Amino acid sequence: MLTYDILIIGSGGAGLYAALESRSEEELRVGVLTKIYPTRSHTGAAQGGVNAALANLDSTDTWQDHWFDTVKGSDYLADQDAAEIMTREAPMVVREMEHWGCPFSRTDEGKIAQRPFGGASKPRACYSADKVGHVMLHTLYEQGIRHGVNFLNEWQVLSLMHDGTRCQGVTAINTQTGRVHTINAKAVILATGGHGRIYWTRTSNAFGNTGDGTAMAYRAGLPIKDMEFIQFHPTGLRRTGILMSEGARGEGAYLLNGLGERFMSRYAPDKMELGPRDLVSRSCETEVREGRGGPEGEVFLDMTHLGKERILEKLPQIRELCIEFEGVDPIEEPVPIKPTAHYSMGGIHTDINGQTEIEGIYAAGEAGCVSVHGANRLGGNSLLDILVFGKRAGKHALEYARGASFTPVSTEQEERDTQMINTMMDGKGSGITIADIRHAMGNLMAEKVGVYRNASDLESAISKLADLQEQFKQMRIQDKTKAFNTELVSALELKNMLDLAEVVTAGALERKESRGAHTREDHLERDDKNWLAHTMATQGADGRPKLEFSPVTITEFEPKARTY
Amino acid sequence: MSEKIRYGFYSGCCFQGADERFFQILQDVFAKVDVELELIVDAVCCGSGVIEERSELTSLAVNAKNMAHAEQMGLPLYTPCSTCYNVIANAQKRMQEDPAVHAQVNEILAEQGLEYKGTCKITHTLWVFAQDVGLDKLKERITNPLNGLRVASYYGCHTRNPADIQGYESADNPTSLEDILEVLGVQIVDYDTKDDCCGYHLAWPNNKLNMQMTSNVLEGAHTKDVDMLVTSCPLCFKSMDGTQAKALAQTGKNFQLPVLFLPELVGLACGMSAEDMMLRYHGVPVNIRL
Amino acid sequence: MNATITPDRKSILANIRIQRFTPGEHKSAFYDNFKVNVETGMTVLEVLRLIKNTQDSSLTFRAFCRSKICGSCSVRVNGKPLLACSTQLMPILDDFKQESVIIQPMRNMPVLRDLVVDIDPVIEKLAKMHPYIMENRGRIPETLEQESLMSRQELTKFDYITDCILCGSCYSACSAASADPNYAGPLTLGKAYRFSADVRDSFKGERMQAAVDQGLWSCAQCRKCINVCPKDTRPAISIQRLRKMSIDDGIHDTPGSRRAKAYTDDVAKYGQVNKPMLPVIVNGPKGWAAIEAADNYLIKHGIEPTHQVCTLDGQSSTQKIYAKVKELESRGENKT
Repeated sequence: MLTYDILIIGSGGAGLYAALESRSEEELRVGVLTKIYPTRSHTGAAQGGVNAALANLDSTDTWQDHWFDTVKGSDYLADQDAAEIMTREAPMVVREMEHWGCPFSRTDEGKIAQRPFGGASKPRACYSADKVGHVMLHTLYEQGIRHGVNFLNEWQVLSLMHDGTRCQGVTAINTQTGRVHTINAKAVILATGGHGRIYWTRTSNAFGNTGDGTAMAYRAGLPIKDMEFIQFHPTGLRRTGILMSEGARGEGAYLLNGLGERFMSRYAPDKMELGPRDLVSRSCETEVREGRGGPEGEVFLDMTHLGKERILEKLPQIRELCIEFEGVDPIEEPVPIKPTAHYSMGGIHTDINGQTEIEGIYAAGEAGCVSVHGANRLGGNSLLDILVFGKRAGKHALEYARGASFTPVSTEQEERDTQMINTMMDGKGSGITIADIRHAMGNLMAEKVGVYRNASDLESAISKLADLQEQFKQMRIQDKTKAFNTELVSALELKNMLDLAEVVTAGALERKESRGAHTREDHLERDDKNWLAHTMATQGADGRPKLEFSPVTITEFEPKARTY
Repeated sequence: MSEKIRYGFYSGCCFQGADERFFQILQDVFAKVDVELELIVDAVCCGSGVIEERSELTSLAVNAKNMAHAEQMGLPLYTPCSTCYNVIANAQKRMQEDPAVHAQVNEILAEQGLEYKGTCKITHTLWVFAQDVGLDKLKERITNPLNGLRVASYYGCHTRNPADIQGYESADNPTSLEDILEVLGVQIVDYDTKDDCCGYHLAWPNNKLNMQMTSNVLEGAHTKDVDMLVTSCPLCFKSMDGTQAKALAQTGKNFQLPVLFLPELVGLACGMSAEDMMLRYHGVPVNIRL
Repeated sequence: MNATITPDRKSILANIRIQRFTPGEHKSAFYDNFKVNVETGMTVLEVLRLIKNTQDSSLTFRAFCRSKICGSCSVRVNGKPLLACSTQLMPILDDFKQESVIIQPMRNMPVLRDLVVDIDPVIEKLAKMHPYIMENRGRIPETLEQESLMSRQELTKFDYITDCILCGSCYSACSAASADPNYAGPLTLGKAYRFSADVRDSFKGERMQAAVDQGLWSCAQCRKCINVCPKDTRPAISIQRLRKMSIDDGIHDTPGSRRAKAYTDDVAKYGQVNKPMLPVIVNGPKGWAAIEAADNYLIKHGIEPTHQVCTLDGQSSTQKIYAKVKELESRGENKT
């Protein structure tokens, strides 16, 4: 049996920071298990910035300003003690990244460059051209190599194990060999990222953002929090969901419907295309719902009137994205787009040290929910979240593992998981494929649990998700090879997504208000009297989510209307 | 008689000294297709990309000088050497992209009364035949079509990489060499190592690796049972013909594969003899029916 | 105005020929052909996924971010290594004027299954190159109260390499890596330059030695790596810069550094490289064997060997260039 004092699941920013923090001069065995290779992680896709009140551009900026902006952006659902910690520690972690070699862009004086960002009252997003997540991820990986961090690459986790009070470890399959292993660990840090892929192609997320750690924790009886909050971005490319930044609209691009109309005049006659993200997303969605979308349910971002010269000069990267990923040159024709699921605010419930209710089990980053993002994450705070809470989880897990002993574990779970896999591999099945179910799930979630929600759609989604769960049970894997069976990995990911999609939908149905990213057509107002509360979901004995609500920590800022 | 096509000829190091015969061959073959070469006087060695390992600015200035002389002649700069082409074209691109560097280079050239304007067109044997002369005209001049000859075509690297070094044809799927060969009548044979590098430029710092790489390319062609390998690069020719015996001995291979420099094969197809093409100087005997 | 938007698209029924191989199941690699309706807008990755979802679920390839930042999905299409996610297929069909493409795994790495290769050997080479910053305390403050200061000019020296996503395309394209399994390869040497050029680093000496040991002078400058890099990180250029750095730092006793010196000096002296004598200049007395071999070759072909250097007639004015560059460099005004 493999044993680790600390086993970190996931190799994005949170996982790698936790690994660096928990690496020890003492004889503690720390491993990072990842289903890919560390530098492939989705952290690398973050382009814009990481927030820290360094005051390099605006000397009046303070962490308290950042704290307030974060709480306001969260629509007051963030826990203010957690947001305080994150914003207060931000300058330290950003500087630590810099000291480790992260190539931030620079100001005239040679300091870390900062830029303004939506929802931030001061320019505090530290950036590195358009690749800050990528360079942060690589910096952490480089330091990981330097300090001899132990990586288990291309392993897929299956189950989280505990004895009711203490962590025992996980079961996982080594994708390269196809063998299932039990890994005994004093501490496990779940840093597996978000679950935007429950919207399948209607997301900006990587293929692997399937919420593996979150689903695993949920099935192990741990509460998962605020799952109904999913941030949508209005302009994802139609085919892939890849993000087209606000830059194009900032330069004067039009949003057109399938009839060629600048439809934003209906929804935001003054600001037009530059209205807030959620409003623009809802407007695009309305056009399509009312039959004015393009042939494939898209709308269009039109830059043709800007002219070749201006596009080449001001928007070269956006043009490159359109050509490479959509096969469309924005100089010549409008670019098909759809709103795209971007960020999962919810996740595994933890305290400010990343610890869950089970001793030794931690979560951090998009997989976790402390919560600092509440109902809506501020741009530039996702990279900050993974640094601050990755570090805190690593530090706390190290202290815990120093004092704790291993909790014995049997191979029972390994046997159950092997059996589950064998069942999926055996027989011919119903003919339904993973691709079919995934496709149905993505469309269902985008249509009924997307930008707009209402009770009847959500109820129908819940029953359809139950159908999909049944279909999944009938599904059989056609690829019978053990080594590198990517069909099996996809099946395991799909199982996780189906579980989480149910929790997201149940939370969305239960929460009868509109707050942050959650818009209920049948409850359009925020309702602090009844719903200033975190949704806590645990898996009931029937396998369905059971919801409870817990209070939001308010220390400094009384909830006010969120206007910009 | 149709009009002559004229170029400023930049010889580099492959067309002088022990290799002077190639200059003669080139002129004779070009005469068959109405191409005239006018030597660029006052030229210097392109530095082969090696000068950059000491000073990029020196390399740029040296090659700007070469181009400036061609500009003065009012002719395109033609070089038969792929590495010269690469280094000169790269210098051109670098100065196009960075006007400050361009200005500084001109500041350097001003001391000898030269200015590199940036208007110089640069070309290589491939595009002289395939585009300037044109395949139709080339076809007209063929008196001895080489039908049935099985040929492995080999560009080498320096007319292809990086992609923006040339604007003449597709970078990923260049066809100029095959187009020319097809006109000559040969049968072109595909092989696995045609995109590999022969390693010529490692000859001095790492000869063993150079020989291994050359051997790899040759073997790829040899396994396809070709009559010969034809290359448009004179340096690849040196590596694969001149040092073939050494390369194959080092790697334990036992075969001989004739290698021809593209202009030689064009000359043969245009009715010139093996003697005219001085094939006797080859390292690997060219003992095939032509 | 108000005209319905009907984007211009075409569609070709293409033959997608894919290399397959599962170790332990197949004796050697073979090809499967899949017919796919390729439309304008489809990336290579979309085509692979379409095949996996609708024709053969056992087709194995890697893909993760599908947005050109994770580097998982590198494969070769018609021989060229590229990212499947950011490469449109229709332009390739057009470029090759064929209704068929061939998709293969990257080269120079063992195949794990179908299009999936084992990248660990490359990562191991990278790890040996000390690919990280070791704090230079002259630049990096002791505490986290301050960041280190770095000018844009200092950053520009290496920033372009930080775009590298470790996709391995350059390694796949590298003929030197094919021929010498011990050669570090382009991305690894590029990274060595990236860290050594960073003013915050203090480990340049050790890293430079690692680079020399792992083939700093084994790159033939064929420049394929520049061609295939999806992020334009120009590894061959970084290798040139790393070579310069090693010479500037006083590593003069390698064949490569001697060659660089010889070329540079010769061009000033003769307008041309002293080719006949290069073997001795670069490799010392043992180079005479190569010169003798060259002489014998010439004699065999009836040519009288001379060890005379050729000259090009621009030699006199070349010296002016060198003098001026030296002057500019001494004033710190070199703009390259």
